[in-house]
Amino acid sequence: MRHWGQEGIEEGMIRILRVVGILFFFVMVGFPFYWMVVSSLKSLQELLLHPENLGLEIGKLDFTAYGEVLFEHGFLQYISNSVYVAVLTVLLSLSLATLGGYAVTRLYFRGQAFMSLSILVIYMFPAIVLVIPLYVVFSWLGLRDSIHVLILVYLAQTLPVALYMLRSYFQNLPAEIEYAGLTDGCTRLGVIWRIVIPLSAPALASVALYTFMIAWNEFLFAFMFLDSPEKFTLSRGVVQLAGSVHLSKQLVMAASVLVTVPIVVLFLFFERHLVRGLTAGAMKG
Amino acid sequence: MIVASLTLKNISKSFGKVAVLREVNVHVEEGAFCVLLGPSGCGKSTLLNIIAGLTPQDSGSVLVDGHPVDRLTPRERDVAMVFQSYALYPHMTVGQNLGFGLRMRGVSGEEIEQKVRDVATLLGIEKLLGRKPRELSGGQRQRVAMGRALVRQPKIFLFDEPLSNLDARLRANVRLELKQIHQQLRGTVVYVTHDQVEAMTLGDQIVVLHEGRVRQEGSPEDIYSRPADRFVASFLGTPEMNLYSGRVTNREGRAVFEGKGFSLDLAVTLLEHVNEEIEIGIRPEDVRINDAESPGLQAEVEMVSNIGSEIYAHARIGGARITVKAPKEARLNKGQTLSLATVPGALHVFYKGRRL
Repeated sequence: MRHWGQEGIEEGMIRILRVVGILFFFVMVGFPFYWMVVSSLKSLQELLLHPENLGLEIGKLDFTAYGEVLFEHGFLQYISNSVYVAVLTVLLSLSLATLGGYAVTRLYFRGQAFMSLSILVIYMFPAIVLVIPLYVVFSWLGLRDSIHVLILVYLAQTLPVALYMLRSYFQNLPAEIEYAGLTDGCTRLGVIWRIVIPLSAPALASVALYTFMIAWNEFLFAFMFLDSPEKFTLSRGVVQLAGSVHLSKQLVMAASVLVTVPIVVLFLFFERHLVRGLTAGAMKG
Repeated sequence: MIVASLTLKNISKSFGKVAVLREVNVHVEEGAFCVLLGPSGCGKSTLLNIIAGLTPQDSGSVLVDGHPVDRLTPRERDVAMVFQSYALYPHMTVGQNLGFGLRMRGVSGEEIEQKVRDVATLLGIEKLLGRKPRELSGGQRQRVAMGRALVRQPKIFLFDEPLSNLDARLRANVRLELKQIHQQLRGTVVYVTHDQVEAMTLGDQIVVLHEGRVRQEGSPEDIYSRPADRFVASFLGTPEMNLYSGRVTNREGRAVFEGKGFSLDLAVTLLEHVNEEIEIGIRPEDVRINDAESPGLQAEVEMVSNIGSEIYAHARIGGARITVKAPKEARLNKGQTLSLATVPGALHVFYKGRRL
């Protein structure tokens, strides 16, 4: 007969909890996602007649919702706005955070410790606290309804974390490799460009992904700051669509898929690059 | 090849409250192989970084060919450095690693290729040019690190304990090879190590550093046979020099050293230090073992260590211990009594830590 010791019970508990956890997340995340995709591929009629039908018949796939959303409700414009905002935010975040993160790890200057610490403090301010004052300030300045101001605001949100992530990565890069670069004839910027950046590719990929997600998904500031529909980002556009008079569910679902899928694809693509370390082999090892 | 001389003038450096270097003065002739020798933490690597321009000194000046270079960047100083950790660029192939310094200095692609191939041949790594550092063994990485410095033909080569991560056998081989390369190329070299064997075999000139100060500078022979102070005496030589503290006494006009339970004749000139504390040192190889009957220091063997090429006897004289190098064919046993005599002129005498 098998003896159930302390360890056996603990192991069993862990196994059960793991299954429960996975199931929980699958239901909470997987089901709505599935529901969203399925609904976006059905006709309005089908949705109204059989709201309880969770299945999807391959023969009856209906892409008209996507066409309508893209071409009649301006989502082509919103997508290009969102791409513009997100890509620019990523590029600016990466370049500023690389330079800043490098400065606080490798260069010695007055106030370096303070700078290093203040990075995180800035991030402690919740967006909701800042949105009203910023709204007021940018309204005064007459800069409110602008995509570029939105990028500026996103940068303020993404930079602290980007700096923080890159700083801790840079701290773990061996300083001797940079010394080697300097004696080999690089300038500081040359060292950053030719040595630090290639070696930090995994960290840069993580930061890029994180920043892209923030900028792509952000709603609060986009909602407050943008008034003209031709400047709407995707998340703002979805809300606009959901709030419009002739609400049809499959349109909102199609729009939501358009918001979500790029992030998922991006994540799957970058995922392989996130963890791999590149410094293997530099040192005596 | 451009060869330069190097002068360090009153270099001092502190990290916070810790003084790492104090008023260091060194001159290295062009084409000389200078070894900075000292225990870990003596500031030798910091000194190397200061020469390279990677760390600024607090005061003092670095001169190349007599011209101060303190305001120049590492790039402008035209030195090449081999790091203890090798510090290869992990994202580049061996060939790119070797050529990087030349590329940064705007050398044409053809010339880079030629020079990289020459150096790779010199070091026997021409088959590895297409590999990444992570695909190399420790010894191969070490070679690439050296090659990266050699290919540039800089004014000065800096080596920061480049052999310390190799196993003993490989280290001995690379050491000889390095010496050969230097005799062939005649570049100015500053080489940091804590390994006295490396220092003795490689250096034309050895600078012994301890606690941030230069304790002695000179040729290997000089430093070994005439150590300037107690520290240098004990730091160089394996096994260590036998050191005893005691008092100078006057026995009917002869100067005699009174140690713990034994005494030893000294040079008459030491009578001027009569009744003063001194330290005497004698290297294991400077002690002769005579027949037990002949007069001399009576020593009782406590332990014998035979390392193949030579035999060392660890014996007791009075209240002190002595290590003696014995001829290979000597038959020594524990408990045996030996009669010891010092080789004339081989006694090192230190007064207040300094050589007399």
